Amino acid sequence: MIAFFYHIGKYILFMGKVFKKPQKTNVFINNLFFEIEKIGINSIVIVFIISIFMGAVITLQTAYNLEIPLIPLYVVGLGTRDSMFLEFSSTIIALILAGKVGANIASEVGTMKTREQIEALDMMGVHSESHIVLPKLLAAVFSFPLLTLFSMFVGIYGGYLAVYLTGAIPVDNYVYGVHFMFVPFYIVYSLIKMVVFAIIISTIPAYQAYYIKGGAIEIGVASTKAVVYSSILILFFNVVLTQILLS
Amino acid sequence: MIEVKNISKSFADNHVLKDISLTFKRGETNLIIGQSGSGKTVLLKSILGIHQIDKGQIIYGNEVYSEMNNKEKQKIREQIGMVFQGGALFDSATVFENVIFPLQMFSNMTKKEMEKQAHFCLERVNLNNSDDLFPGEISGGMQKRVAIARAIVLNPKYLFFDEPNSGLDPKTSIVIDNLIKDLTIEFNTVTVINTHDMNSVVEIGDNIAFIHKGQKWWTGNSEEILKADNKELNDFVFATKLMRSIKKQ
Repeated sequence: MIAFFYHIGKYILFMGKVFKKPQKTNVFINNLFFEIEKIGINSIVIVFIISIFMGAVITLQTAYNLEIPLIPLYVVGLGTRDSMFLEFSSTIIALILAGKVGANIASEVGTMKTREQIEALDMMGVHSESHIVLPKLLAAVFSFPLLTLFSMFVGIYGGYLAVYLTGAIPVDNYVYGVHFMFVPFYIVYSLIKMVVFAIIISTIPAYQAYYIKGGAIEIGVASTKAVVYSSILILFFNVVLTQILLS
Repeated sequence: MIEVKNISKSFADNHVLKDISLTFKRGETNLIIGQSGSGKTVLLKSILGIHQIDKGQIIYGNEVYSEMNNKEKQKIREQIGMVFQGGALFDSATVFENVIFPLQMFSNMTKKEMEKQAHFCLERVNLNNSDDLFPGEISGGMQKRVAIARAIVLNPKYLFFDEPNSGLDPKTSIVIDNLIKDLTIEFNTVTVINTHDMNSVVEIGDNIAFIHKGQKWWTGNSEEILKADNKELNDFVFATKLMRSIKKQ
């Protein structure tokens, strides 16, 4: 329990240093664009693959489980849309990104630490926490919600392809269901969640790696811890935010 | 000049540095030598301010560095060039980006002036046509030279080297040693080198401090060290057959 509060306190102090004003604006902007490419643009393919298959599977499973003729077929499209909007395009994509981006951040920062690169920055007088972590944090907060929107679109298209190729239900019914009783707040809810998840995914791995001592084994341990802790926090905040935003 | 006055440093109950006083002169190569675990790395990091000392003073010029706050220390740090043991080059940046980085962070030069200065430093360490290579694509000796170019790019008053020859072959080590010596004279820096490479001691040791069990055990120069009458120092310096044969001569 003491260790838990110790890490909470240390994380808060770490974040205080992360939010220090960048020392050189042009260097910071360059780093920010570099991180947007690395964290955001380089994640488009994985988000596309996962979303298209997720959308297709949700659609097919819903269609094959609709055995009661009283339930209209457009429910399949409605179910796919709401599942993607409410949960899959934010929470599941965040869990995937925690694995991909979180592990990457932990190993990168960990390697910088063990190879004295962070010490070199500190020695030069560069605020290393802010210089390394702030561009990653802002890049994640900017690009992850965009990936969520992209995932929603691709997921629904995946469902469309599934019904078009298999004929599980008529395509018109699916399209009608996608448009039926659309609640725009579901998108806002999903984006709010994703901003919180982006903060978790970019800062927890950086924190885990920033204070390591040792070599390759410790970097591996930090990467594993980063993914596990980030995933647990994503699931925890998913419940908290759902209660706050949808109740 | 850098003065180290009666400094002590402990980690919990482990007294790593005990009442050490040293003076490092400008335009000369000042070597700190000692066995692994003797406290020389802690001494170097204490002088740099990476470790907070428990007792004593560290004075850069006329300014008491050890008693400054972080903002005040920053002004001194901008006058320090540091070459870490492994080079500490940024893996995701090219050779040129590594060297120009301190200028981007701390100078008010125009882009052209920065590029000119970075190229001057790369040429000074004999690294031409390597601008676009990444640290992982160049040899250990070249990495050290890039690190040296980065260390001198802001025209520092103080240069620090932590084990500059570790992992290098003897021929490359001599190149690095000579480069350090030349830069010390050319830039008139206070140069402090942490090493246990005996070749460096003999070749470029203007002032040598031998640290043993966290204490200053012996001081002298590269000629005096070969004739010194100090058991612990002799055990360290003449540990190899090569050094023993030099002593006989």
